Amino acid sequence: MDKGLLAYLLIPLLSAVVIPFAARNRPKLADLLANVTLLAGLVNLLWLALRPSVIAGGFADIPGDGFSLLLVSAVYLVGLCVTFFSAWFLDEKLPNRQAYYSLILVSVAAMTGVVTTTDFFTLYVFIEVLAVTSFALITTDDSGAGLEGALKYFFLTFPASALIIAGISVLMLSLGSLSFDALRVFMASDIPSGPVTFGAALIMLGFIIKAGVVPFHTWTPDAYQGAYAPVSAHLAGIVTKISGVYAIIKLATLLRFFDGRAQALSGILMFLGMLSIAVGALAALKQTDFKRMLAFSSISQVGYIVLAAGLGTPLAVMGAIFHLFNHATFKTVLFLNSASLEKSAGTTDMEKLGGMEHSMPWTSWTSVVALLSTAGVPPLSGFWSKLLIILALWEAGLKTYAVLALLFSIVTLAYFMMMQKKVFFGRKSQAAESSPEVSAPLLAPAVLMSAVIVALGLLFPYFYTYVKMVAERIIL
Amino acid sequence: MSVFAFDWYMIALLLFAGFYCMLASRSIVRQLIGLEIVSKAAMLTVISAGALTANLVFAQALLITMIVIEVVVVAAGLALLVKNFRVKGSADIWKLDSLKG
Repeated sequence: MDKGLLAYLLIPLLSAVVIPFAARNRPKLADLLANVTLLAGLVNLLWLALRPSVIAGGFADIPGDGFSLLLVSAVYLVGLCVTFFSAWFLDEKLPNRQAYYSLILVSVAAMTGVVTTTDFFTLYVFIEVLAVTSFALITTDDSGAGLEGALKYFFLTFPASALIIAGISVLMLSLGSLSFDALRVFMASDIPSGPVTFGAALIMLGFIIKAGVVPFHTWTPDAYQGAYAPVSAHLAGIVTKISGVYAIIKLATLLRFFDGRAQALSGILMFLGMLSIAVGALAALKQTDFKRMLAFSSISQVGYIVLAAGLGTPLAVMGAIFHLFNHATFKTVLFLNSASLEKSAGTTDMEKLGGMEHSMPWTSWTSVVALLSTAGVPPLSGFWSKLLIILALWEAGLKTYAVLALLFSIVTLAYFMMMQKKVFFGRKSQAAESSPEVSAPLLAPAVLMSAVIVALGLLFPYFYTYVKMVAERIIL
Repeated sequence: MSVFAFDWYMIALLLFAGFYCMLASRSIVRQLIGLEIVSKAAMLTVISAGALTANLVFAQALLITMIVIEVVVVAAGLALLVKNFRVKGSADIWKLDSLKG
């Protein structure tokens, strides 16, 4: 456990316990408590990472390895956007408002636990806590679709946990310890690594299932589409990324893929990454539901991160970390916008929508920023992360993968352009006539996130220094 | 055959039984039972590994925590099953197909 960041785990947990009691008869107090907790945490984190003296010193004063600080900030940022959005989005009649906020805060605490832990067993514990809160959150509105999504999520993540447990016991047999450092030291030595790699591969397989990488992706679209609208932003933006992709990047650095140890595993991981890029992008092309298309796009973007993690060179790890953060920003904007559409027009079916730009200009333009960033158009943040990943692939001599990654980036642009044309541009449809722009508080999170996307793209040199520091610390 | 080889042989059998139970049944409840068997097999690996490395105390501590966590996960899963049965009126896994695209 990284003790410097322990408070960011405990305070949301405390708040989650307090909310059901304090706000039992005052539902508005639940909104307030959840938002204040996350806002205070985020301000605190920004001060820790972005105060002028730290920036001037090239981020050398960051506690821990810097990776956990970056991801805790991402967790708090997305969590704050989701709770702020929910405060205005939730139905007044929703009976379990307090439980909803409690669960969001517990999931924020669990995610903080996941990214700050330093051994596999604690990682497993927090992943399970996170999974339980996700099941409950997906079914917030008690709809049949939500239940179906949650059940599919449950039936696929449960065997993944069994695989992680089996991997942990193989590591116990072969390595004798479960801490990250023991694995790192072992992989840096010259001892043949067979059984240890096998244990790590079992754990990694569990996390690949939880991340929704392609052969195991079937639960992802259903869970995202069925989930209650703000919850799908929370899930797609951060929960599945932390519960699956984070651990894959961490294992990739611990197994020292860049040294050529565990080469077979690295090759398989890269292949699966490429497969998810392709399948996700091609499946997204023919979706008719906005949220389901975003889910397939999410699978495709996770593919980029897994591909880079599988390569494992410092440049690729930088790209993976940067893309993980970017994914949190742009996918949150798109899912929150789909929630706004659902509230205003009552549907997310792309065939029924059209010309929404005339009545919902803000929603339309924040979507444009987010989708251009996803497709990797300069100068937005997504461009830089994809550039890093493709450069790393090219540098390592994997020219086929580099070219394919670039090509599917264009496919990404294609399906998003089709979505934008069908939903926002074009002639005004019947839905557009009757649906006004949502209120300013509902737009604020999307606008904030779009500002983050543009700012990260323009202030890339600073962020590059940060990510470089992180990659150096976690690889060496 | 040593005791530990026998342990892992039984564990593999148990895993297979669990996965077979999941594949062969249509009822969600039976699928959950299959999942339970799989996860029990995975937990047996932990205690076996602890015994093999003469680290039984550590393995027991891990295992008890895992059991507690698993109880919570299964409780959440069962709640989903019951709710699904109330909403849909059936526990057939093949009827979970309303989300498509």
